[in-house]
Amino acid sequence: MTTSLHPPRRASRWRSLDAREARLAWLLILPTALIVFGLVLFPAVFSIWISFRDVGLGNLHDVFHAPSVGLGNYASVFRDFAFKFQNLGNMGAAVNSIVYSFAATILTVVVGLIAALLLNRPFRGRGLSRALFLFPYVTPIVSVAFVWRWILDPRPSGVLNDILMRLHLIDAPNAYLATRGLALLIVIIFEAWRYFPFAMLMILARLQAIDKTLYEAAEVDGAHTWMKFRAVTIPELRYVLGAIFLLRLIWTFNKFDDIFLLTGGGFGTNVLPVLTYQFSFKSFDFGKGAAAAMILLVILIVFLVVYAMTVMKNVDET
Amino acid sequence: MSQSTAARARGGERMNFIEHLARWITWPRFIFALVMLFFLTSILFPFYWMVSSSFKTYAEIGGRTAVYVPGALRWDAYRELFDPNFGARFWNFGVNIVNSVKVAVPTALIAMILSVLGAYAVARLQFRGKSLMLNGILAIYLFPGILLIIPLFAMLAQIGAKLGFDVQDNLPVLILTYLAQTLPVALYMLANYFRTIPTEIEQAGLIDGCTRLDVIWRITLPLSVPALISVGIYTFMIAWNEFLYALVFLNSRNMFTMPIQINTIFNDPSPRPHVVMAASTIMSVPILMLFLGMERYLAEGLAAGGVKG
Repeated sequence: MTTSLHPPRRASRWRSLDAREARLAWLLILPTALIVFGLVLFPAVFSIWISFRDVGLGNLHDVFHAPSVGLGNYASVFRDFAFKFQNLGNMGAAVNSIVYSFAATILTVVVGLIAALLLNRPFRGRGLSRALFLFPYVTPIVSVAFVWRWILDPRPSGVLNDILMRLHLIDAPNAYLATRGLALLIVIIFEAWRYFPFAMLMILARLQAIDKTLYEAAEVDGAHTWMKFRAVTIPELRYVLGAIFLLRLIWTFNKFDDIFLLTGGGFGTNVLPVLTYQFSFKSFDFGKGAAAAMILLVILIVFLVVYAMTVMKNVDET
Repeated sequence: MSQSTAARARGGERMNFIEHLARWITWPRFIFALVMLFFLTSILFPFYWMVSSSFKTYAEIGGRTAVYVPGALRWDAYRELFDPNFGARFWNFGVNIVNSVKVAVPTALIAMILSVLGAYAVARLQFRGKSLMLNGILAIYLFPGILLIIPLFAMLAQIGAKLGFDVQDNLPVLILTYLAQTLPVALYMLANYFRTIPTEIEQAGLIDGCTRLDVIWRITLPLSVPALISVGIYTFMIAWNEFLYALVFLNSRNMFTMPIQINTIFNDPSPRPHVVMAASTIMSVPILMLFLGMERYLAEGLAAGGVKG
């Protein structure tokens, strides 16, 4: 008698075993499904409901009877000066989120690509270098954010100030994270510093899977290093670069910790996740907070749809 | 004469060395070395600065210039974290370490057990609604933590009022939310690994009269140790590093996990960067040790699942 792990459905004498296996499968996956659906998918839907209600600290424990305010929370978010675009120096959280996410994601992917190309060639100490390159990514965010703040400290004992003053590039210490414009730039650089290893790992894995004969063929045709890079490496990396860009864009757009810890959302660096936190847990207007979070989600979904319609289509065509 | 030959020999050696160097350094090698140097400095300097600052005194921290190498290995900052007689307000850091362990270890263990079961079902068994469930579980990638925290808070407050538990300062509640964040990736990592195990081995076990659970326990798990280790470390790291949920769900200082307590120390009215750096060093060293020790398991998992963050 032969046993198959996946017996065909039609064979009647296996039907009861089939059903038993399906029941076992549900039993095995049930705890995971309950936790994920109960603590992620249901709250996600629930937050739509909250965004139309007036929920404060007083009725948080009785949220199902919260009075409806229609679109009031959304109107209140759109009117908020922290949210809306005023001028280039004061872009508001919505435009800021978009600028910050795109700039940080592009920089992350570019730095990750450079790092992957560095580590793709054989040299002594490559294994150790790869491990060290991953340090910014695996260290707790609180540690690295506060080290950066301490390096950028506005006092003369802050090391960046000290170095620049010794080089006579500046006369007096600067407060880098409290300067509009510069603060946003630093936050973007921080994102690239922390998250390039993720891009690097994925690109490195793809680079090592490229068929070596492609390079040999290009050499036979007389291609130089740069031409080989453009004609072989980049086309081979296109899919993985697109995937990394999308994933990092979503995660950067949703990211709360980094900006909250570096600037608290001040000095022209406020983004939607931090604004949501401020509405909810500083002014305790949970309905308004939920509305800000829904706007965040809608922008994200619009991006995904546009991305799927343009970039993916182009990839398919070429 | 012998002196001059020796000098010439030395000179010759030097010439040879310089010539050798000149021949070795080509433009690509030079650029490679330069870029490599840039990467290593910008990655390692913050870590050097964290550890070295933790050994500085308050005078060295607040002086007119930066101190690049601490005068001596001073344990002042660490004593502020642990020594109640030192006169600092943050001497209770040991409690925060224990809280972090109390959250991270159960998260890792429970996530390993639940994801093994779920991943086996996904990889090996057929059931209706499988792809729908997988897509639903994957959708977690899309939702920002900040969006979930408001409804989660309201929902758990309701359930807690009915069942008689507090949402705030409740470490099991925190563990539950961390499980929701980590289980999807853990499940994917393990399911992908299980698919690489030849089904013939399991079939042999089934024919010998093992039940499915026997097969998982005796055949699949022993073959999956590397994947299990990487899932365990991944979930441990997420729970150990997590900031937002702990910030919202924890209220009293003796329930704080390390990240929240470090945030509190940083925002103290009198800035004490050396204490912040000492606490950050304490939090980071175990993670980096774990990572270096298990790097060969982890790098793959990090790339496959991606630490959501």
